[in-house]
Amino acid sequence: MGNRLAESILLLGFVGIGTTLMLALLKAPSVSINAFESPDAQRIFYWHVPAAWAAFIAFGILFVGSALWFFKRSNLGWRMHVAGAEAGLATGLMTIWSGMVWGSAEWGVPWDWTDVRLNTFGLLTFLALFLVLGRQSQPDGVETRDTFSTFGLFGFVLVPVTYVATRLWQIRHPGPVVGGGDSGSLNGEMAVILLIGAISFTVFIIGHVLMSMRITSLEQRLESLQEALDKV
Amino acid sequence: MSEVLLSLNDVTVRRGSSVVLKDLHLQLEEGQIVLLSDKNGAGKSTIIETAAGLLPLETGEVSHHSNLLIDSNGRSKRPERAFGLTLQSDGCIGSQRVEEHIHNALDISGGRIEIDPWLKRYNLAHRKHDLVAHLSGGQRRKVAMLAGILPGFVGSQPRILLLDEPAAGLDKASRAMLLEDLHKLQQRGNAILLASHHADFNTCATHMFHENKLVANESAEKATTHHEDIKTLQAKGNVSFRTSFTLNQRTLSTVANNGIAGLLTLGILLALVDSSAVDSSVIQASGLFLSAAFAAGLVGDSMISMLHEQKALDWWKAHRQGIPNSYVHALVIGSGLTALTQLGFDSELSIELILIGGLLTSATMAIVRAMELATSRLARPRAAFIRILTPILILPFALLVQWITDSNLL
Repeated sequence: MGNRLAESILLLGFVGIGTTLMLALLKAPSVSINAFESPDAQRIFYWHVPAAWAAFIAFGILFVGSALWFFKRSNLGWRMHVAGAEAGLATGLMTIWSGMVWGSAEWGVPWDWTDVRLNTFGLLTFLALFLVLGRQSQPDGVETRDTFSTFGLFGFVLVPVTYVATRLWQIRHPGPVVGGGDSGSLNGEMAVILLIGAISFTVFIIGHVLMSMRITSLEQRLESLQEALDKV
Repeated sequence: MSEVLLSLNDVTVRRGSSVVLKDLHLQLEEGQIVLLSDKNGAGKSTIIETAAGLLPLETGEVSHHSNLLIDSNGRSKRPERAFGLTLQSDGCIGSQRVEEHIHNALDISGGRIEIDPWLKRYNLAHRKHDLVAHLSGGQRRKVAMLAGILPGFVGSQPRILLLDEPAAGLDKASRAMLLEDLHKLQQRGNAILLASHHADFNTCATHMFHENKLVANESAEKATTHHEDIKTLQAKGNVSFRTSFTLNQRTLSTVANNGIAGLLTLGILLALVDSSAVDSSVIQASGLFLSAAFAAGLVGDSMISMLHEQKALDWWKAHRQGIPNSYVHALVIGSGLTALTQLGFDSELSIELILIGGLLTSATMAIVRAMELATSRLARPRAAFIRILTPILILPFALLVQWITDSNLL
């Protein structure tokens, strides 16, 4: 029963994300044609913002896991680190992809190397990619865990920088849509769809993290069994 | 009472997925030779590397001459008196000459001695000026061994000598000479921690360390050699810088790696961008002129590749005298590339921009190098995809270009 929990939550998250996409394309109110160069492209925000929200949750899990391993030598911490990096990579790529679609339509370019938030978020995703690929390239051991946990701890510095980037150095990136004062207010229907999106992505992250932690736990068990067999 | 030179207190070290050393306690006093002779995989090299401060500790601390070297809280200090070190994997850079590696070990220990008699003694005199990479495995081992024991003959103060399998690959005659030299070192008061499988050393060890217990060796032979005075000469300073400069001059590795990357970038820019269309008052101009220097820095420090040979990086890290780098060459190459780019686009040479180009290459190289060093503890550091993180440098580069434009430097 417990084994199916992660899959069920993950499936629920996928359904929610699909529903959000459908509502964004078919139900969300249109925005003023004067406010945007490409008003229809704005619908991608219902995917982009919740994906970014979920990515920050994943990076938070990565940070806590890294700290737990680094300072407490907790195996649970290492499993959280691995799960956080994988979930951060998945949701980070979703955020970047959707942002690039919008950037192409609205700015005429998919990426702006001088926009601080774009770049710091891109770096977080690159960090997650490095942690996922790097871990797979190394045998599991204290050296691997220490090194990647250190990167996880330092990388988390980028999270608050990314969050405040549009407040401090707004270049092209829009300001915050939630928690950004009057300029960021949403109308009721928009807020409901965005909330469904945020909940769906959060459920997806929880499912992803639970499943990833279970896989890492099984990998650790397999390795200890192999070591026991080596000694026979 | 004899002074305690080396002390490992309640040390626990993990390697891979297992605890290799658990609550280890070991003290070496003046004039002691402690032999680690456990079977393979028992942690002999781990004890040597821990005593050299190379491995992070889970618990406990390591002290040299009663001063902290490293502890489990991550504190690490440079030893006041340098120690001799022979690592299991030699620790020599292949592009160094035999005499250079041995002189480095001596300079780090604060004085030189005449090395020719030692090279002759171990039949290496005719190889003195050869590159370490050109030696056979046994000869390279002799160089590594000499770099580990000769600091014990420098000055009058006793030192710690950490020797991991110094006799591996040595013939019987060389082993006998080493045995004799260990007796001489012992007479000078040096404390020697020795890991070896060779039974020859059972006779010279004052103590055996077996299964976490230090036991006096009843069968130890008394030294019969008499104490000889060896004249200590003046050491040469800046060991790390000197090595960096010499290796770069000899191998031209920074030119070959970073310079070529910069030149290729310049070639691509010249092929794609119409020089008559570049307006130096717009933001792209400074970015364009600095691109080759930036690309050169992104290649990283070729010295790191050289240091990965025979685990030379560990040898340099253990001595805590700085790790050789290519910053000076990067500065020159970056400046040159920036000047060439400006000339290539028919722009007036800007001294400020040329200087910024040089600093940009050095700084970029330093950051990439720091990333690579951060993964050097991994089992497979080159497979760790660390270059994925180099895009971190694009935003600072863009902000630098913006600043140059705002400052009207061009």
